[in-house]
Amino acid sequence: MYRLRRLKSQLFTALSIAVAILVFATIAHILLSVAVNGVGVIASAGIDFFVKPPPPPGAGLEGGIGPALAGTIILVALSAVLGVPLAVLTAVFLAEFPHSRFSRLVKLFTNSLLEIPTVLVGMLVYVTLVTSTGSYSILAGAVALSIVLLPYTSTYVERALEMVPATYKEAGYSIGLKKAQVVWYVTSRIARRGIAAGILIGLAKAAGETAPLLFTLGGALYSYPTSPASLLEPGNAIPLLIFTLTLAPYENWHSVAWGAALILTLMVLGLIIAVRLVVREVKV
Amino acid sequence: MAEPRHDKLFYYTLLPFASTSLAIVLLLASILAVNSLPAIERYGLSLLTRNVWSPVELDPEASDYGLLAPLLGTLVTATIATMASIPIAASLVYVSEEVLPARMLRVRSAISILVDVMAGMPTIVYGLWGALVLAPLLLNYVYQPLNKYFGFIPLFACSPYTGLNILTASLLLSIMITPFVFAVVRESYTQIPLSYREASLSLGTTKYEHFRIMLGIIKPSLIAGALLGFGRAASETVAVTLVVGNAFNLPYCLLSPGYTVSALIANQFNNAPLYPYMESVLLFSGAILLLLGLVSNLAGLIMLSRVKARV
Repeated sequence: MYRLRRLKSQLFTALSIAVAILVFATIAHILLSVAVNGVGVIASAGIDFFVKPPPPPGAGLEGGIGPALAGTIILVALSAVLGVPLAVLTAVFLAEFPHSRFSRLVKLFTNSLLEIPTVLVGMLVYVTLVTSTGSYSILAGAVALSIVLLPYTSTYVERALEMVPATYKEAGYSIGLKKAQVVWYVTSRIARRGIAAGILIGLAKAAGETAPLLFTLGGALYSYPTSPASLLEPGNAIPLLIFTLTLAPYENWHSVAWGAALILTLMVLGLIIAVRLVVREVKV
Repeated sequence: MAEPRHDKLFYYTLLPFASTSLAIVLLLASILAVNSLPAIERYGLSLLTRNVWSPVELDPEASDYGLLAPLLGTLVTATIATMASIPIAASLVYVSEEVLPARMLRVRSAISILVDVMAGMPTIVYGLWGALVLAPLLLNYVYQPLNKYFGFIPLFACSPYTGLNILTASLLLSIMITPFVFAVVRESYTQIPLSYREASLSLGTTKYEHFRIMLGIIKPSLIAGALLGFGRAASETVAVTLVVGNAFNLPYCLLSPGYTVSALIANQFNNAPLYPYMESVLLFSGAILLLLGLVSNLAGLIMLSRVKARV
């Protein structure tokens, strides 16, 4: 009897290990496909890959992701400017007044914002901003991305603020500091690494999202953002460019998409690794 | 509780900023509701029960829409993805928490890093890999044999042409949501009190029996993982759009190209202003997506709070 039970257990273990290996083989396959195909394309296009627009459909690999790379950098920076202050202030509100009725409501809605399909964020910005300005624009894309970033950053920053031991805050109160002063001089200084991690997570999300940009950014393939006025004109971003290139039936566009995916993966994974480094040092 | 005046001031200074997320969600809900009214008035319930997509430029009378195919497509792909990801996530939890000995901390942390990478990877990268690598692979080594030898089963009866179909979308989604389901289940699993573990082990259980008992304790979190995973799978857009095939077929056969609500929006919303009622129909389908996402997530969170009550 016991032998049978043991056999069953060993079978289950073997099966589970096989499943785990299959999962990690899949993720390795994805990463390797991106790395191998991406490196090949970037190597053959050289430095042009980072500065030139994509090649014409079906016409070799003489080009790259210049406009989209510039667009992603501008979009991430702009969405951080718009979204991070809101996220941090929301987090301070939630951490400092956790028992007010309104703060429970805010928390509920922040959580739902976290789970709302991001394509709907694109629809929202389209209906409100794009139709009223009459054009797709980098600004509209940045607004959509800042909405995506907001709940992630505010959730992580709130957690970091809550982890600051009450004794430090009480020490602040005991020397007559007001609540706002304690947040500024005590809590935020102690939680600074956690706050930084929350901001980086938000940036990683904003850099990698595609769906909010579908109806806001415009997907301009060849034009570069050159002046501040370009913010009100259509632009492009790496994720959106990959989407466009992959949907199209051209081999050379697919190759450029692999190269773009490599750059995007490196950017996003770099941010995630940065978060891990920052947070690990907090724990020590 | 009487708060000092300056703290009240602080509260009211932060209030408008903190209300942003609330305002965004309410604005989104009301915009979707208001803008889908014309479509509801024009087509009524038949929007949900018919499979039609014939927009006619400048002719509101002739334009006709019914969302049945994308709706079923979303339900079918998200359900298959969820059903596949639950056992996968449970196996991963078993391997990382029970099979690997506690001293192999490095391997455990490697697993958690890899899962983080999986969860954090931009979805468009999954889409690119799914469309250019996974779909051709499945077509040659799985779909064609499946159709050849199991074609008598209606689900596999249609001959696969491109590899871009409902089943590919489901499988890709299952890979994408596995890390989230894993995170939910493992978090609860590690919170099971030591006394419960010892009680189970003291009965002389094998590893497998022990794991079954532990899973029984955190059963609500398995359901929560399923609900949250379902919500994510239903709302995923770009990766699905790239692999689902984008054709208005009802998903009777898993090997034929299909549609999901999110893919429909992604493909059609940019052209919608050209056709009468199309924008309204798409915003209505967005409202359904929002509802589906919010309900499954809310149910998932309620389930999670039940686990917390248990352990």
